[in-house]
Amino acid sequence: MKKATDNKIRKKGLGVKAGRGIGNTAVYIGLVIITLIWLFPFFGIVLESFRVETPMQVSYLWPHKFGFDNYIRLFKETDFLRWFVNTGIMGVCTAVLQTVFVLAMSYGLSRLRFKGRKFLMNAMLVLGMFPGFLTMILIYKVFSDFHLIEQMAPLGLIIVYCASSGMGYYVSKGFFDTIPKSLDEAARVDGATRLQVFYKVILPLSKPIVIYTILMGFMAPWGDFMLASYLIHENSQGMSVAVGMFEWLSKTMVNTNYTMFCAAGVVVAIPVTTVFLLLQKYYVEGVTGGAVKG
Amino acid sequence: MASVKLTNVKKVYGKNVVAVDDFNLDIADKEFVVFVGPSGCGKSTTLRMIAGLEDITEGTVEIDGTIVNDLQPRDRDIAMVFQNYALYPHLTVFENMAFPLRLKKMPQEEVYERVTKAAEILGITEYLMRKPRALSGGQRQRVAIGRAMVRDSKVFLMDEPLSNLDAKLRNQMRAEIILLREKIDTTFIYVTHDQTEAMTLGDRIVIMKDGFIQQVGTPTEVFDMPVNLFVSEFIGAPKMNTFKTELVCEYGKYYVTPYGAKVEISGEKAKKLAEKGVYSQSIILGVRPEHITLTTSENPAAIACRIEVNEMMGSELHLHTVTENGDKLIVRVPTVTLEDDERKALHHGNTIYVTFGSKVMHFFDVDTEKNLLV
Repeated sequence: MKKATDNKIRKKGLGVKAGRGIGNTAVYIGLVIITLIWLFPFFGIVLESFRVETPMQVSYLWPHKFGFDNYIRLFKETDFLRWFVNTGIMGVCTAVLQTVFVLAMSYGLSRLRFKGRKFLMNAMLVLGMFPGFLTMILIYKVFSDFHLIEQMAPLGLIIVYCASSGMGYYVSKGFFDTIPKSLDEAARVDGATRLQVFYKVILPLSKPIVIYTILMGFMAPWGDFMLASYLIHENSQGMSVAVGMFEWLSKTMVNTNYTMFCAAGVVVAIPVTTVFLLLQKYYVEGVTGGAVKG
Repeated sequence: MASVKLTNVKKVYGKNVVAVDDFNLDIADKEFVVFVGPSGCGKSTTLRMIAGLEDITEGTVEIDGTIVNDLQPRDRDIAMVFQNYALYPHLTVFENMAFPLRLKKMPQEEVYERVTKAAEILGITEYLMRKPRALSGGQRQRVAIGRAMVRDSKVFLMDEPLSNLDAKLRNQMRAEIILLREKIDTTFIYVTHDQTEAMTLGDRIVIMKDGFIQQVGTPTEVFDMPVNLFVSEFIGAPKMNTFKTELVCEYGKYYVTPYGAKVEISGEKAKKLAEKGVYSQSIILGVRPEHITLTTSENPAAIACRIEVNEMMGSELHLHTVTENGDKLIVRVPTVTLEDDERKALHHGNTIYVTFGSKVMHFFDVDTEKNLLV
């Protein structure tokens, strides 16, 4: 009798296990399909960038002839390098400045209690809900008076990207809120100034959020098109990659520049991907363990 | 090493939440003072005002004769141990302890010397290279104490340093703090809500309630001569029994009449009552559980009460009893003196007879709740 029950249990157990196995397989197959669909455009762009036989769009995927012609043309015949450097400078400057602003803002809002703090936070939240391009005409007007457009547009754009960046305080403030206040207090009693508390205690504990802010700051200029195209106008010296490359897809140029556009796309993806790969490991690093009881 | 003086200190949060009021205290150099009281009584706020972590609304705080109201914490030369340890999680134990010294730009050799010396005293030498997360609660608390120790600061502040530890470890650390105090002879201000810690550690105890100091005194003073009902019930465990009764003055002799019993007040207590001009009146009588003794029904001073709960603590029994008119009375009986059959009789539901002498009585005014003998 007992044996029979045992068998029954065993059978049931096996059934559950097998069921779970089948379920997992189905899930993985689904995920693989989704991944393939998602990766296909990237794969296509890389292939296109190595196509040599024609600069036009074609109806087949695999290039008949591979070569670096598109990349050579990109750097020799166009201002792409200039745009790339422009965007790179904007990316680095924005990443640095924006990180400073955002972290200072969020730390202040997280730790200091002052009159109008709640109001300020709410006001920024509401202001942040308005789409950025509402201010474009005004920004253009002001910046043209200061000669921060066309050739000087990269500087103007850095100012725009950084100026209101403090308003994006929510994520990092949320993070700072999780760091116990008593750490600040202990450091202050131990002889640290407010600034020392921030960079000796809080910053080392906030690596993930610092990295996140840097990444966001760096990515913004690479992806921004609307405001950039407006300020840059058509000045080739001041262009960013997004604005410059857009030209190549206009009706008259698409047939001569399509594969070069793809090559440029690959080049543009390289720095962003590299930065992300280098910094992503900090994303997952849990660092606050052991700060307080727990 | 320094004295600390608080004069008329007041702390108001927002517009009208008064956390601390009219706080006056002189703490002598090398004294160990404990602030104790229930949560929300303002003890931590007071400590944080001394540390400079809270603004002082009114009054002055002096450390070593200098008014420090407007000084930043780092300029006050104080060390502080926090309830949740507040160790820097990204630094090793060594660097945690060296942190205040590095901020002072102390030479490397001296940092090393001081940290290793403190670690030795606290018995954490082998953990110096570990991160705080790899330490147990007790070890973390030692590191926190170590970080405060290395600085040789004027005043050592401790904000409920033991309340995150389990009971056994707490007892052990309490003993260690007493030893530590001898080694780092400095001024201590210690905040706790635990009256046992206050009694065992403090040279003087400051008992607070609702932002006001109730009493300042040595452990013996606050235990033997509580100034009011609150202090009498707060200090001592289990808490003091208090009940309304009549004080009767007949032919120059004083009696109290708890639950129909008649107990004469003799000696010192009677003399003091006469001196204070207290005569027949309603009073609140206080008697500590350990001062109540078992007796028999023949005793004219016996009070009959029924045992509701019998708590066996090992060395003693805590009997939670109810008198005839429903008042609760806690009686503490040392088990060592009990015969087996006596112990059996102390069963819940049984009625026992208890009594107490006048020497152990405390008299409080019914309205003001103040001790009539103070």
